[in-house]
Amino acid sequence: MSVQVLDRKARPRPSVRGLRAALTSGVARNQLWGAVFVLPLLILFVVFKFYPMVQAFWLSLNDYDLLTPPRFIGLRNYVRLVGDPLFRQSAGATAYYVIGTCVPLWVLSLGAALAFNQAIPAKNILRAAFFMPVIMPAIVVAIIWKFLYHPYGLVNTGLQALGLAGVDWLADSAAVMPAFILAGEWRLIPYFMIIYLAGLQAIPHEYYEAAAIDGASSVQRFRHITLALLRPTILLVIIVSVILTSKVFVNALVITNGGPNGATRVIPLFIYQHAFTYFKMGLASAASVILLLVLMIFTIVQLWLFSETDEPA
Amino acid sequence: MLTRCLMMRQIARALAFIAFAGIVAMFFVPIVWMISTALKPLDRVFALPIEWVPADPRWDNFVTAWNRFTFGRYFVNSLVVTISVTGIHCVLAAFAGYGFAKYRFFGNRLLFLAILSTMMLPIEVVIVPTFLIVRDLGWLNTYQGLVVPVIADAFGVFLMRQFMLRIPDALIEAARIDGAHEVKIFFRIVLPLSWAPAVTLAVFMWRETWDAFVWPFVIITQNDLRTLPLGIARFQEEFVTTYNEVMAVAVIGMIPLALMFLFFQRAFVQGIALSGLKE
Repeated sequence: MSVQVLDRKARPRPSVRGLRAALTSGVARNQLWGAVFVLPLLILFVVFKFYPMVQAFWLSLNDYDLLTPPRFIGLRNYVRLVGDPLFRQSAGATAYYVIGTCVPLWVLSLGAALAFNQAIPAKNILRAAFFMPVIMPAIVVAIIWKFLYHPYGLVNTGLQALGLAGVDWLADSAAVMPAFILAGEWRLIPYFMIIYLAGLQAIPHEYYEAAAIDGASSVQRFRHITLALLRPTILLVIIVSVILTSKVFVNALVITNGGPNGATRVIPLFIYQHAFTYFKMGLASAASVILLLVLMIFTIVQLWLFSETDEPA
Repeated sequence: MLTRCLMMRQIARALAFIAFAGIVAMFFVPIVWMISTALKPLDRVFALPIEWVPADPRWDNFVTAWNRFTFGRYFVNSLVVTISVTGIHCVLAAFAGYGFAKYRFFGNRLLFLAILSTMMLPIEVVIVPTFLIVRDLGWLNTYQGLVVPVIADAFGVFLMRQFMLRIPDALIEAARIDGAHEVKIFFRIVLPLSWAPAVTLAVFMWRETWDAFVWPFVIITQNDLRTLPLGIARFQEEFVTTYNEVMAVAVIGMIPLALMFLFFQRAFVQGIALSGLKE
């Protein structure tokens, strides 16, 4: 999301007309009242966001079980994680879920947005129906899909109606991740469709008309107008979808609790289990820091890629 | 020839529309199945062919399920937490947004960027230290534990600041010359102009907080402090195979947000369109 830079006017010089005058001057007003308005929320941010971030790094360098005081052990938590087959499996499962969900998501949600951007009959009703998964609470989504993937559930009933064999989705470690991905798409396609649609509606109609007059084909118009002007939206969708999917938790906890055989023990569940079931606060923090670093690197690379490449020719 | 070509095009369009409507319907089918299951007797849940509209709807499934747990209490807890978070956050975010938009104080830009950067920070990354802070404050299993840490959310600050940047300085300056106090300027001039983003923000925070799972799940262990999502999660754990009642509870859990969507559709959709950065 582009952040507009403050238009900063030249700061007035400190007045020399004495303290009283200075306090009523523009400078003092800006300093004082700016602080008054910002401070209440800023304090909450310091206590519950900035300090925990620093603390996460510090904890990751310690051995801490909540009962005995933290013990500094340097990078040993990270070494342990890298060598831990459970953590590697967890990282692999997360990567599978994130990539498996996001790549189709980018295309399908754009497709849905393009469709809803057309003049179609009963558009409002269709859009409301399509949007329903987004207004479901996460816990309800998890329960619905757990039931859909029941051996006699709707998914298998549908497969059998098509003459295919049913699958024990949640007990088969090869089938469970595709099942999770489908459940993810169900809620995320409508969500990102909304974001794409907002981007599409911001493109002026005149561009398409002008291009049509100049004889541009519909493919050309799509590439040179739609895709070109959607670039900021596409960047946003890519970054946000990766962050959102990498923190999948409720589904992993409620549908399978990480099973079968750890196939859905994604990193957030790994962190939760190590912190609050095994009380390995340091190890859990190290896993959080790794997740944060990976997401940060990904975001920076994306921003860099999108600023480097020129408009698609 | 020309008419035939036109007709073909119309048929193609109609087919495309039917395919599209079919795809859209597929997104809706799981919800219909959930509702119809909630109304079936347990022994008919997996009956084939599927009864989409149960012949003899069992409305009492809802009552039985509701009474198995203290769902009334969970509902009230969710309401208390959601109203508190939404109310306090909107006020503080409006304050902060105004401060960032209209006062040139030391570190304005840096602080704003620091706050903005937390939008990219999943709670999972800081859940352990945040848990420890809340524990040290003695707030585990309390309402303040559920409310206060959640108020520190960046989206509202961003939204209010972007909007307030567009309020003309001249308007504020004029009030100042008339001798209005800074606080009065905020409440009398800035706030009344900022209703639109404030409503979007309120609807957005309401949805976020009502839906919150991870944080309450970590800090709440006492039954009478559980929020509705936690209660639903426990219900489905305990009554796994009572599918009809589990679905009834799921329907109940869905209703508050569905109603909200009905009444605030615009603000609801706009919150998502604008944010993107939050779940």
